[in-house]
Amino acid sequence: MAGETAAPFLDVVGLTIRFGGLTAVGGLDMEVAKGSIHALIGPNGAGKSTTFNCISRFYTPSEGRITYDGRDITRMPAREMAGLGIARSFQNLELFAELTVFENVLIGAHVHAGRSWRDAISARPRGIVEHVEHLLERTGLSAYAQTKARNLDFGHQKMVEIARALAIRPRLLLLDEPAAGLRNREIAALDRLLCELRERDGITILLVEHVMQLVMSISDRITVLSFGTKIAEGTAAEVRAHPAVIEAYLGRETTQETPHG
Amino acid sequence: MSSSPLASATSGKRVLSGPAIAGLALAALLAVALPAFTTGYVIYIANLLLVFVVLCLGLHVVIGENGQFSMAHAAFYGIGIYASALANRAVDLPYPFAMLFGALVAGIVGLFIGALALRMRDIYLALATFAFGEAMQWVFANWDSVTNGPNGLRISPARFGPLEILSDKQAYPFVLFFCLLMIGVTVAISRSRLGRSFRAVRESEVAAMAMGIDVRRTRVVAFGLSAAIAGFAGGMFGLFQTFIHPDSLGFQTTILVLTMVVVGGLGSIAGAIGGAIVFGLISEVLRQAPQYQEIIYGGILILFMMYAPRGLFVFIGDRIREVRHGR
Ligand SMILES: Nc1ncnc2c1ncn2[C@@H]1O[C@H](COP(=O)(O)OP(=O)(O)O)[C@@H](O)[C@H]1O
Ligand SMILES: [Mg+2]
Repeated sequence: MAGETAAPFLDVVGLTIRFGGLTAVGGLDMEVAKGSIHALIGPNGAGKSTTFNCISRFYTPSEGRITYDGRDITRMPAREMAGLGIARSFQNLELFAELTVFENVLIGAHVHAGRSWRDAISARPRGIVEHVEHLLERTGLSAYAQTKARNLDFGHQKMVEIARALAIRPRLLLLDEPAAGLRNREIAALDRLLCELRERDGITILLVEHVMQLVMSISDRITVLSFGTKIAEGTAAEVRAHPAVIEAYLGRETTQETPHG
Repeated sequence: MSSSPLASATSGKRVLSGPAIAGLALAALLAVALPAFTTGYVIYIANLLLVFVVLCLGLHVVIGENGQFSMAHAAFYGIGIYASALANRAVDLPYPFAMLFGALVAGIVGLFIGALALRMRDIYLALATFAFGEAMQWVFANWDSVTNGPNGLRISPARFGPLEILSDKQAYPFVLFFCLLMIGVTVAISRSRLGRSFRAVRESEVAAMAMGIDVRRTRVVAFGLSAAIAGFAGGMFGLFQTFIHPDSLGFQTTILVLTMVVVGGLGSIAGAIGGAIVFGLISEVLRQAPQYQEIIYGGILILFMMYAPRGLFVFIGDRIREVRHGR
């Protein structure tokens, strides 16, 4: 039903974020289409995480507007995002470290817990447990359900972040560098999972990522930030060929994997 | 409904494992049979230990589950003691109503303290709750018209319908029952959605927020519930005690309860219970040498924080495992 004129699922307009004198993001416009994987890339310090944190409402923008599914969320509190179907991961893991993997993901499903007294006091609320187990299976974590999150290796910990975010049953999934620190095999699994989430579950994904191999293979659209402003936008091929992008990456260092032009 | 055994309650730590269940069953048997073969003094100590178990459960909820420090639990306990004693005197209802009233008043005060605590963390929270505890002790000692001030308050006997409790032995089954009830309540809270959000907030406030948990409300509720349980312990005190004096509701008591919870193991209900019993017995022995009492408490607290931060039982368990694995 989404015609040409349909409003974007996530619409960022004139987003500006200042920290004291520093303008981390200056007047960013970005439209994320429903059901797409949209990547936000750029050199370190470009303002990707800052933008990401604004959308997930952990930061409040100095100027600009963020509209999600037709609703202005610019000033809404962060804790209401889960209820709207917006889930996020954290660039530097924020797991419930002393709790089991199962419990981590179960807490992700809090917004869906039944309203009955019985559901409230149950350690394994009906309907939700099955969903959690299903998610553990999809993210390859079933064997670790009863392991404390802090005892997992890094790759699995990152998967717990994603599984926990998925427990929200998000319509918009915000991932901040999910592939950072992963091995090739793990990146391949992540690639498959994200594609499946888009195709099978219809989840819209906004991906902040440095690992170009992943970004270039799965993104429908890519926005490139540099020093807080958008320098390019388009498909993987378009962005890869864009002179400003080549300049931003090759001219200035930072990423180990630069896009090939 | 929930077909899973308790042991797989997945609350982050096993609430009840196999040996723990066996141990609890044995303890329960001993506990029930206790009055048959002991003297009044032993029963008195048992009553007191059971009250301290509940007080430790209260502290466990806010520190162990929610990760917020409190040095005010002697105050919540005291509020519970005075409020239930006064309620018992004022109305002619069975004693459990007085106990509930004590828990309610302590819980409401706890909600206020929890709301103030939102602005504070760590050492500041410890200091602020310490100050509140001291202030409450001052109130107990000086609000003459209500608490009878420094002379202490006489607690009239608890009544359950026609039954009036006049001895420690008579009180014991009730104290034991209410203690088991509160263990059940605490386990239920810990396993519930609320308990999970307590722990989520303890582990990561930002992640909890991203999961849709209201972090501020969760912290306030943890404080309120914790204080209500401590207040309930105060009501239990009135089951067998005939007198309360503000001197016994000071910093010493707070440190005692804190030591119990730390010795038992932060973050585990079994630890809080075990700590209350083991350390309660130790402190009873130490009563013979009151001049050394505080320094010994302090020493034990520091030793445990340094060498067994996860508590006596985890420490022993680890040593056993080491021996078994041949080292
Ligand atoms: N909370 C903050 N306070 C002050 N400056 C910040 C804060 N967060 C980010 N910045 C600054 O904003 C700029 C963009 O940072 P960030 O969004 O983390 O970049 P990226 O994620 O693209 O690497 C950097 O210069 C960073 O130092
Ligand atoms: Mg970043």
